[in-house]
Amino acid sequence: MSARPDLPPVRQPVTQELIDRYAELSGDHNPLHVDPDYAAGTPFGSTIAHGPIALQTFFVAATRASGAETLPPGSKVSVTYRSPVRPGDEITCVAVDAGEEASGDEVRAECRTGDGTVVVSIAARIPGSPSQRSKR
Amino acid sequence: MDTDPTPETPLLSNVAFDDLEVGRRYGPYTERVGARLADSLRERIGEPSSGTVAPPAVFPVLFLKALRRAMGGIPSGSILAKQELEFYAPVRVDSDVEVSAWVGEKYVRRDRPYAVIEFDVRRDDGELALTGRKVIVWPEAER
Repeated sequence: MSARPDLPPVRQPVTQELIDRYAELSGDHNPLHVDPDYAAGTPFGSTIAHGPIALQTFFVAATRASGAETLPPGSKVSVTYRSPVRPGDEITCVAVDAGEEASGDEVRAECRTGDGTVVVSIAARIPGSPSQRSKR
Repeated sequence: MDTDPTPETPLLSNVAFDDLEVGRRYGPYTERVGARLADSLRERIGEPSSGTVAPPAVFPVLFLKALRRAMGGIPSGSILAKQELEFYAPVRVDSDVEVSAWVGEKYVRRDRPYAVIEFDVRRDDGELALTGRKVIVWPEAER
């Protein structure tokens, strides 16, 4: 048995305007995010989005799936940022197989760009999450 | 466009990795979880939606605000590598929370300096709402 919860599709187009908006909202004006001239001189070669912008697709999908405004008490979300997200990317969050040992509350998901690059990996425990169990 | 949430704090800082003191605590800082912030992060960014409880995406923002206050600005050139969030209690929209942060750990791996910044968020009734930790690739000191 493997657990693979249903997550509704959520797509987030990323633009420099959106990154600037998040910078204003959070107060994080790191020049890697908001200064194209500075970012051009770094190994990234361009501005990159704040990490939580990509993660937003997971949060929206998870709350939509549960029908709640936030995650329930007892939830734990572990996130690994794997690749930068750049202006022009579109992020999609998809559920992935949680593995043989996973309980019904465990959720694995990935945020991917349009070319399939995994930019964020998520391992979460969300009590009461609607899971879909499939036989191998 | 939203206004800067922490206008009294510089935008950027150059706190050196060597100057980070493991165990040092910062805050608590009082932050308002207002409707504008919560509604901006309830759905896709750029598509505000109203509600009465802070959505999960509010907490990374509260962390960034606390980090900026703790470090005297966002460390310029820093990169978020990992994060963990544990949810304990919902936070009402239009309420205050207190955010504390501390340096949990720091290490160098493959010649890259990493700082682990831990934080917690308490509601205005004192109840723990969330704990979190972020692993940040700390910027190299300017030579």
